Amino acid sequence: MNIQNKPNLQQKLAAEYVLGTLRGGARRRFEGWLNRDAQLQQVVRQWEGNLLPMAEFAKTAQPATSVWQSLEKRLGLNQSADRWAFWRNLREDLAFWRGLGMFSTAMALVMVSVLLSKQVDQSLPPTNSYVATLSNDKAEPIAVITGDIKHKQLIVHIVKAQNIAADKSLELWAVSKAGTVKSLGLVADNGNITLPMPDNMNSDNVPLLAVTLEPKGGSGNPEKPTGPIVFKGNWLLI
Amino acid sequence: MDAGQLHIWLAGVARKDAIAFRSLYDATSPKLFGFALRILVKCELAEEVLQESFVNIWNNAASYQASLAAPMTWMTTIVRNRAFDLLRRLDHDVEIDADNFDMDVVHALESGDLTPIQSLEMTQDAKALASCMSRLEGLHRQAMALAFFHNLSHSEVAEQMKLPMGTVKTWIRRGLDKLRTCLGKMEMV
Repeated sequence: MNIQNKPNLQQKLAAEYVLGTLRGGARRRFEGWLNRDAQLQQVVRQWEGNLLPMAEFAKTAQPATSVWQSLEKRLGLNQSADRWAFWRNLREDLAFWRGLGMFSTAMALVMVSVLLSKQVDQSLPPTNSYVATLSNDKAEPIAVITGDIKHKQLIVHIVKAQNIAADKSLELWAVSKAGTVKSLGLVADNGNITLPMPDNMNSDNVPLLAVTLEPKGGSGNPEKPTGPIVFKGNWLLI
Repeated sequence: MDAGQLHIWLAGVARKDAIAFRSLYDATSPKLFGFALRILVKCELAEEVLQESFVNIWNNAASYQASLAAPMTWMTTIVRNRAFDLLRRLDHDVEIDADNFDMDVVHALESGDLTPIQSLEMTQDAKALASCMSRLEGLHRQAMALAFFHNLSHSEVAEQMKLPMGTVKTWIRRGLDKLRTCLGKMEMV
């Protein structure tokens, strides 16, 4: 039998091959075809892409530190880490550049607030404030949010205007360490908006801010978003 | 989890960059270890598989082809193959808790309770799969998950679920069909 011109059969067998339910002689025959047929290999790769993410449904668990130590020893990692590797790695570490971007933004905001407060009131004591740069999944910064502790205000500044459908709203959420969320209010898709800042909204309680896409007027439940996260960022004390 | 960042680290590992390897390990080992633990149940077995898998990743990163598989899919395949190899070598039955199969994520998605943290930790691929699986009937989903996580044949799944083999076979076939259609649609969106 040949399955080259039978796309439905190819799909069926490839799926059960990847899932693991293709057994015995049928599996060995399939592997024989697979070795010779690039197109069939492509079908199997598609099914691997479809089904292997099921692994992520298992609960995450932290392996013992001894696993890494054994790896270091077995692979001789300490010797092979050349002295440029760190810089090369840094150059290619998106998180570093994102962090740097966030830090620069934060520093710019500090300077602005220092300058402003100097102009307004010379005697003002230096107060702490918070900042978050929210980025989309392509790491583009979309919004900068600052928390003014003294006035209990959150200032949301959209740096990149968003095109939101007329029947949708953007809603801002404080995400706690435990994963619980609390709505902070709706935000505009462009320009600035000021929202009340809840008490105890510090980086320890709320490490993350996120904006979700909700039906017009918001999710309706202040403790549960209904839509996907469109941008997010860490809430940092500066 | 950011597939772009994983690509960059894997490229570093291909050049034998130990720091990129450490970053990759830190970012992915809790997930891969959780998966190995789900298959093997015993901590020391899962740790052995995790270690072997990362040796394999270090040695073969240069042959990883980004266009052919997502980084997480590639690494998960390695862990799964190693874990099943070990199971075969030990030739012993792992206790399978078929009644309490913990597909928390799928349940959470079904009821709309996926926390933002869960959502952030998962790759796009896993979210798409969870969403499509949540549309399947619970028992069909369970049959597929038993086969996937425990390397069970149709007849072994049937035995676990105390159902006729023909029923299980049909469920799995239909489930896979539906998944393919659903994931295909998501890709187009």
